[in-house]
Amino acid sequence: MTVEERILELLIGPQHPASGHMRLVAKIDGDIVVELRPNIGYVHRSVEKLAEVKKYLHIIPLVERPSLADTTANNLAYVMALEKLLGIEAPPRAQYLRTLLAEINRIHSHLYGLGIHGVMIGSSTAYMWCFGDREPFIEIAQELTGARLTYSYIIPGGVRRDLPQGFEDRVEKVLRYLENRMKDYFDIYFNNPVTRARLEGVGVLTKEDAIKLGVTGPNLRASGVPYDVRKIEPYAAYPELDFEVVTREEGDALARVFVRIGEIQESMKIIRQVLKNIPEGPIFHEKYVKMVPPKLREYMKETGEVKFPGTFANLRVPAGEAISRVEGGRGEVVFYLISDGKSLSPYRMRMVTPSFRNVILFEHLTKGHRVADIPAIYGSLDYFPPEADR
Amino acid sequence: MVCMMEGTMLLGNLEKSARKAAAWLVNKTPIRNIRDWGIAFSLWPVHFTTACCGAEFAASAAPRFDTERFGFLPFIASRQCNLLFIEGTLTKKMGEAAIWVYEQMPEPKFVIAMGACGIDGGIFWNSYNIVRPMDILPVSVFIPGCPPRPEAVAQAIIMLQRKIRKGEMVKYEF
Ligand code: SF4
Repeated sequence: MTVEERILELLIGPQHPASGHMRLVAKIDGDIVVELRPNIGYVHRSVEKLAEVKKYLHIIPLVERPSLADTTANNLAYVMALEKLLGIEAPPRAQYLRTLLAEINRIHSHLYGLGIHGVMIGSSTAYMWCFGDREPFIEIAQELTGARLTYSYIIPGGVRRDLPQGFEDRVEKVLRYLENRMKDYFDIYFNNPVTRARLEGVGVLTKEDAIKLGVTGPNLRASGVPYDVRKIEPYAAYPELDFEVVTREEGDALARVFVRIGEIQESMKIIRQVLKNIPEGPIFHEKYVKMVPPKLREYMKETGEVKFPGTFANLRVPAGEAISRVEGGRGEVVFYLISDGKSLSPYRMRMVTPSFRNVILFEHLTKGHRVADIPAIYGSLDYFPPEADR
Repeated sequence: MVCMMEGTMLLGNLEKSARKAAAWLVNKTPIRNIRDWGIAFSLWPVHFTTACCGAEFAASAAPRFDTERFGFLPFIASRQCNLLFIEGTLTKKMGEAAIWVYEQMPEPKFVIAMGACGIDGGIFWNSYNIVRPMDILPVSVFIPGCPPRPEAVAQAIIMLQRKIRKGEMVKYEF
């Protein structure tokens, strides 16, 4: 038999527990993957096109939908681009609150990724634990913003709500809970011989390849490249905070998992700093506060809830272009906005999502591995198809 | 077909009569109740994520909300499942796959559509690439919300169970 005759084509997905919302087309020789091509586009919902017919403020919920587990990154990136066009900047307290929510979101987004990875390699315990421990973080985010996942918390000129009373104590409790739990995670899951055997040395991405392929986020840092937008091009309150960029040298699936764990711990550090150092002051830009009727302004002061000024309904944005970069849970999110200055919607909105930049790794990493390693590699990339397809 | 039994002779298609008798029995009250009770507590949705609502669906199968206590266990293969859960937007490409999956499932089978997108497209109502689940599948329960909370998912399951136990959904005919 020649090699060509031996090679089978295997279709994995879209209805498959380890495929998510996509299809993987694998060419296999016995148990060895010769080539694996992802067939994406199953969740393409034309977000960029729809943004051209929606008003500026209506786009905030729209850009959150593609990456539902990590909404704050998209929300923040879009609003930062919009603020650049409007020529305003949020007050310092609002910047801190944005950072706070972004970090809470990063933690529960990473726990989501770890849980899905766990179930892909057959460890239901990891799934149950990660998803169970994700709930307290969702709960505190809900207390701050009012929604479980789709916060729409960040608006041009500030944030929607102030800190609730006694919030710091409850956050501290949740953080301490997860810190104690981390030890159990290592005992049961990360240092488990089965997990180690499935992940160690699997899907190795070298430093050179990672840079050449344009990979981003924890997947890049797991290959030993200390690239983090929070450090390279600081935004929100990050310049004033002290944190480290977590990197690993190995570049295999286990390293990618450990980078996420490290980032969870760094995020907890950031949250503590934010709550300690948060300055007093307004949470909404003065220019807009002045436009709110006096009665509502009183209400805003009492409750700490922002009421939108009338101009927000038909927000007019001066002509120009703006680009913004944010480090989300899965990597770098880039938003590019063009406004023609006349209409109520952007002329063009471009969003570059981390998942789409990482999809190239499927083809690159799986070559020469066994079929059973496909889910182990897939899960370690923390790939979220709706985000890639937009 | 002729069949002899202790001196009596039966004429006709024995297999057909037996099926008829079985259908009559299964649709009769005590057995029907047991049957519906059994179906209501073994709703197995197939692992088929269609869009972003899948994140909340996953959360509802996790410890805090734990839909497994309703006998609701996400399962791997479509041929062993009886519930198709449309988790949000159905794009044209995914809609095709949804029909394949639905056709592979054995009877009796049910469909739940989750999210505003599952009803009418939700925030993506004017997108060029979506289909409405109700246009291509017989949906029994809709869950509004964007994304619906896990409690709403649990409620949808209970609603479907009630519908089944009322005897409206399942019919055996031969
Ligand atoms: S209803 Fe909302 S969360 Fe669900 S799929 Fe549609 S946009 Fe996503």
